[in-house]
Formats: sequence, C-alpha cells, structure tokens
Amino acid sequence: MTWLGGWLREIILVVLLAAFVEMLLPSKSMERYARLVLSLLVLLTMLSPIVSLLKGDAASELSVAMANQEKDGGLLAGAKQGDDSLQKILADGQMLAKGRQEQSLKLAADEIAGQMRDQITSETGVRGAQVTVKLGMGKAADATIGQDVPVISSVSVSLPSATGGATGTSSPTTTETTTAEPIVIPPVEEVQITVETTPDTEETGTAVGAESAAANGSNEADSNAADEADSIIKLLEQKWDLAPGVIQVQGKSSSDTKL
Amino acid sequence: MEIIQVVGIGLMSTILILILKEQKPLFAFLLATATGIMIFLFLMGKIGMILSTLERVAESSGMEMIYLKTVFKIIGISYIAEFGAQIVRDAGQEGIASKIELAGKVLIMVLAVPIISIIIETVMKLLPA
Repeated sequence: MTWLGGWLREIILVVLLAAFVEMLLPSKSMERYARLVLSLLVLLTMLSPIVSLLKGDAASELSVAMANQEKDGGLLAGAKQGDDSLQKILADGQMLAKGRQEQSLKLAADEIAGQMRDQITSETGVRGAQVTVKLGMGKAADATIGQDVPVISSVSVSLPSATGGATGTSSPTTTETTTAEPIVIPPVEEVQITVETTPDTEETGTAVGAESAAANGSNEADSNAADEADSIIKLLEQKWDLAPGVIQVQGKSSSDTKL
Repeated sequence: MEIIQVVGIGLMSTILILILKEQKPLFAFLLATATGIMIFLFLMGKIGMILSTLERVAESSGMEMIYLKTVFKIIGISYIAEFGAQIVRDAGQEGIASKIELAGKVLIMVLAVPIISIIIETVMKLLPA
C-alpha cells in the first residue's frame, strides 16, 4: 500500500508544481507549449506504475533520455555527431563486455578453486586447504582457435598448520634467507603477552625455551611440509594440466614452496 | 516596497527615452535595453528564491528530480526567449523577435520529446501485438 501513497503524493506534487509554473511563465505565446510539456509530465507521473511494470523506472528512463539529448549538443553542433556517437556506443559495449567477462572469470575461478580443494582433500587427506585460483585470458594450447580463452594463470594453495608434528610455534624454513625469522618473531610475541603479567627475567626464559623447542622440531616439520606440498603440486598438475610454476603452495607454519 | 522601485525605474527611463528619442534614437534604444536588463536582474533573485523553495519541497517529499529539472528548463527557456524577443521588438525588428520566440517554442517542444517517447512506448507495449 505504500507505493500507492507515494504515487498519489507524486501526482499531487507534480500537478501543484505545474499550476505554479504556469503562473510563472512570462507570456501568452509560450504558455501553450509549456502547458503541453507540463501536462505530459503529469501524464507520465500518472502512468509511472505501468511504465515501471513494463520498462523499469520511469524517472530514470527519462533522465537517461534527457542526458542523451543534452549530449547531442546545442543548435550549432554539426553533422559529425553520428560518427562520434557510434564510436562511443562501441566503446561502451566493449567496456560492458569486459566487465561481464571479468565477472564470469571470477565465478569460474571460484568454482575451480572449490574443485581443487575437494581433490586435495580426497587425494592427500589434507583438510582445510585454502585454494585461490587466478584466471586470465590467453591463447589456447592447441592454437586452432583464434580467440583468447580463459587459462589458469596462477594457483596458490595455503595449507593449514603443518601436520608434521612440529612442537614449537616457530617457522622452519627451506631457504637460507629467513633463518633469523623463527628466532626473532616468537620472542616478540612472547614479550607482548608476558609483559603485562610477569617480570622481565622470567619472560626471557620462556622465550629461549620456545626457541629451543622450535629448533628440535624444525627439520622434521620441514621435510613433511615439503613432501605434502610436492604431492599437492603433482596432483594439481596432473589433474588440471597445468604448467609448473603456476602452482604455489604455502604452509601456514612452513615457508613458501615454489616450483 | 520593491514594486515601487521597479515602477519608479520604469517611469523614469520612459520619460528619458521619450526625450532622447527626439535627439538620438539609438541611445533611446540602448537605455530601454539597459532598463529591461536591470528589471530582469532585479527579479532574478526573487525567481531564484521561488525555484529553490520548490526544489526544497520536492526534495523533502521525495519527488523525482528529473521532473523538477524539466519544469525549470521550461521556465528558463521561456523567460530568456521572451526577454530577448522583447528587446529586439523594442528596436523595431519584429521579424527577428518572432524568430526568437519560435526558437523558444521549439526548444520547449524538444524537452517534450523524451517524455512523449516514453509514454508512446508504454502505450504500444500495453496494446496487444
């Protein structure tokens, strides 16, 4: 019932406005023409429920039409309008198509990611892996089709915390560059937690303890995580016919393993 | 009190124009034009006040702005066309004045084109094919 109230209100307002504006008009000669346009506006307002039923919002339709008319320029705008507007329409169309393609690529990427996750769970038994797939447009592999087709440009798998039984919370690494990391980061966290409750001496002690525990479990966890990542990469390569280097596996507690 | 000012300006300029007309008809025309523009500018503020009030009312009641915009365009076109036509008519060029009025009418009708097209499209859809 609210739309009826809004509709009635709009009609009343437009009629009032029209009556008022007729008073404002300067001369008799213009009055007939202005009255025609005003009465058309009233008619459109009365018809607006039907228009919105058949075509969509009447007011927005009207504003689009008005904007188009304004864009066509004034009296002296020349004849080259046609060319320009055709170019513009083509550009608009391309932009729309691009937007739609991006949307469909995103949908497809989500779908592929879901399937890959299911496969990883069923084949390797790793649960809760997060798969992110990026699709891009590229040439088809068989190259018989001239058009660009969607290809998987990158897959990144991030595994849940390592199943290798690492005892510490540190991150063992395969590369030499980040060996300082497990030593640096955990103590900072410990400091932040324990500063509030415990004195300084105790805090350093716990930090060192965590470090040594981490050092014990690091090697084992490292090899386990690497094996797991390898198996996932092989699986995805076989199933999805992907090039090496596309897949990237990250463990939550192990470093990046790239092919 | 403003109406007294307007009428005063009008009377004064009329007398001056009547005097000037004997000596220099061209200056008489210029004076008439200037007086017209002065009165028009004087009223501009008042018209703006009315229009802004209308706009505020329409905004607060949730009326579609495009309707209001169309109505304002009609008012603007008719005022400007009328004013220009009057000046030209004062100068004795009746032909050009009527052309200006014609242009005003046509431009007002152009405003009606999108509305008419929407209404006609709707009616055509209502009819059975």
